[in-house]
Amino acid sequence: MPESAFHQDNRRSTPLKRAPLISARNVAKRYGAVRALVDGNLEIHPGEVVALLGANGSGKSTLGKVITGMTRPDGGQLQFDGTTAPVTSPEHARRLGVSAVYQELSLVPDLTVAENVFLGNEPTRLGGLDRRLMQHRTAELLESFAGVFTVPVTPGTVVGNLPPSERQLVEVVKALSRQPRALILDEATASLDGRQVDRLFELMAGWRDQGLGLVFVSHRMDEIFRVADRAVVLRDGATVGQLQLRGGDDRRTAERKLVELMTGGGEAGALLLDEARPRAAVNRDAREPALRLRGFASGILAPLDLEVGAGELLGLGGLQGQGQSRLLLALFGAAPHRGSVELDGRRVRVASPRQAVRAGIAYVPGDRNRDGLLAVRPILENLQLPNWERYGTPLRVGAARKDAQMVASDLNVRLAGLDANVSTLSGGNAQKIVIGKWLLRRPRLLLLDDPTKGIDVEAKEEFYRLLARLQADGTTVLFTSSDDAELLGLCERVVVLHDGRVTAELTGPTLDKGSLVAASLGAR
Amino acid sequence: MRAAPAGAARFRNLTFLVPLLVLALAVLLNYLLQPNLFQPRVLNGNLRVMLPLMVLTAGQAVVILAGGIDLSVGAVVSLVNVLLVTLVTPDSGPAEVLLGLAVGVAVGALTGAVNGVCVAYLRLQPIVTTYATSFLFSGVALAVLPRPGGALPRGLTTFYRSAPLGVPAAAYGVALLLLVWWLLRRTRFMQHVYAVGGAAAAARASGVSVSWIRFSSYVVMGVFAAFAAAMLTLSTGSGNARLGDAMTLPSIVAVVLGGTRLAGGAGGVTGAVIGVAILTVIRNLITFANVPTWYQTLVDAVIILAALAGPGLVRRLRGSR
Repeated sequence: MPESAFHQDNRRSTPLKRAPLISARNVAKRYGAVRALVDGNLEIHPGEVVALLGANGSGKSTLGKVITGMTRPDGGQLQFDGTTAPVTSPEHARRLGVSAVYQELSLVPDLTVAENVFLGNEPTRLGGLDRRLMQHRTAELLESFAGVFTVPVTPGTVVGNLPPSERQLVEVVKALSRQPRALILDEATASLDGRQVDRLFELMAGWRDQGLGLVFVSHRMDEIFRVADRAVVLRDGATVGQLQLRGGDDRRTAERKLVELMTGGGEAGALLLDEARPRAAVNRDAREPALRLRGFASGILAPLDLEVGAGELLGLGGLQGQGQSRLLLALFGAAPHRGSVELDGRRVRVASPRQAVRAGIAYVPGDRNRDGLLAVRPILENLQLPNWERYGTPLRVGAARKDAQMVASDLNVRLAGLDANVSTLSGGNAQKIVIGKWLLRRPRLLLLDDPTKGIDVEAKEEFYRLLARLQADGTTVLFTSSDDAELLGLCERVVVLHDGRVTAELTGPTLDKGSLVAASLGAR
Repeated sequence: MRAAPAGAARFRNLTFLVPLLVLALAVLLNYLLQPNLFQPRVLNGNLRVMLPLMVLTAGQAVVILAGGIDLSVGAVVSLVNVLLVTLVTPDSGPAEVLLGLAVGVAVGALTGAVNGVCVAYLRLQPIVTTYATSFLFSGVALAVLPRPGGALPRGLTTFYRSAPLGVPAAAYGVALLLLVWWLLRRTRFMQHVYAVGGAAAAARASGVSVSWIRFSSYVVMGVFAAFAAAMLTLSTGSGNARLGDAMTLPSIVAVVLGGTRLAGGAGGVTGAVIGVAILTVIRNLITFANVPTWYQTLVDAVIILAALAGPGLVRRLRGSR
């Protein structure tokens, strides 16, 4: 990012003394019966990074969307540079200097990187698009991430062909191209790998020093402490407090205070990621392996031999897109493969998802909105989609409803009712539905592609407990995560892939962050 | 799962390559059955028949790319046709002809605006809405010209049949249409059309006014329909309140034949124009292959089905390898 890209007049020596760039007061928003935001408050000053924290459904995404004009609030006040202004559209917010990095929300898959970066903001020359300028500027902006792309990204690359991490970086580049004064990053690191996160944080520090106001929404405590100056906490739709992170309490104290704010006291300690992660007792002793792969290859994935015990939680580590997701996809029959699959000692064919499901395999896709949910259908139908065959003809809807209700309450899904559209759920609750739909089938093998991406600590905690329970029942789990700490904390054994090949199998004493990162980068 | 062939980027805007191949095949067959196909007189006749549908299909392509569909286009063609022959008489001078055309285009745009308001702002279903408005436009057309009739100045219809500089007049029309598309493709508007049809939520999040783009796509459609009507009127030389009705479905079929995704977001007018050529050549083929009259519709349908299924079959065969 060349420095000239930002308005020079934003460089202020004492930024905090000035009026805030943006101030949101008592913002409220309701979606039907759900009160997403009751009393949202947030001030953004030039030259600071504010972390926005809160559990699932606490309203932080909604607050972000109100500020960026994506959502019209029902009440409250928005001020820009001390002047009250209702923001009517994303375009309006952009003119006021507010840009947002969404989670893959604002990219059109059929368009190229350059077309996406300038979408809604195309430069024109003689009445026509100035494609050369678009290409040129995009190439310049992509430079900021040179060296951390896992696949080549050029201005002419079609976005739909990029892996999630690169799409996310394109989102960042797009937000930057608008030369904002305030930038809102909503879960911007969720699908990035370690090096990409590092680069993003370097850049964010630079933008802050140039006088931008940054809002950083993340579920990763670690990242918040690395990058944010101040944290604002929401709970149940209301801003409940804030904490100075830079030059404030020491890390441990600050972390405890934040968690207390997020949960409203109570069992705060249980939420600390490093401590309370249940490392399930694994009985991967001398028994026959539940899953055995022989020369299993698919796409980028080179032939792989793998044995996984019953009830084992096997982690697949490495940078994004090194074959982990492909392995899961192929095992579920959604991508062609070579080699053999044995489940519980029997050879199974997984040429299609239907066969895989019949064989007792369940899959939770990485992109839950695209591949995991029927967004416009009720929660009931989403939960029962793979299970209708159990309810006869005509369908015994009453029984199906009862079972779905059981799963929903078992997973502690916060919902208005089984007949509400799944799109009314927050990220973490939606993910519970994606997993929940398989539970009624009691799968033998559960394939999870980055299941905790973009969900908050509380939902993660519940999810970990669910995993432990499934393992205890003997369910074998294959698991990828973009969060290294999660792999290290949850798994007894992690297989690390690089470029489609296994570079390390980490277990026991070798299972630590250092070897994971080394193996991720391809070192053997 | 999304198929992601490497190198797809370069050919992204050339989705019309497969239809072009189909067209070449059809033309070759046609030539074998009708050796005089490339004689200027025959070619000219074919182009004259194709041009109105090509112009109409170009508009349909824009609407479909934006994620909509328009079933009222045939009725709009009829409406503008009867307006033209009512406003222009065999004795009209250039000024009256231009005025007639201007009124026709304005009415075309107005019909598009009616559809656009219903679909983009009242959020009605495009298929049902435009089916309903087609009766509205047909009704007006019948009121304007209850009985077929009317005529254009002889000079105009003669010009349409002529071949200035040895090239059929209709060929200039096709060239002009492709030029207009080439220019349109380079506007911010078309960029937004692709974005809205491809991922409306993403377009909105990027500051694109989705409703405005949807609305505008129908207005553009209306204008194209008006010009299609003008071409058709030049071709037939008279007015009929039912003249355009049979053009609606071919315009949609041609768009899809040309490689445009029916859900929107990918494709283009070049392919759609080729699609029209394919449709017309297939009709020709059947006539010259001595297919008994009562089987013609059936054969026509089978060939179109095959042409529509072709790209999908090719993709399947390639994917399974």
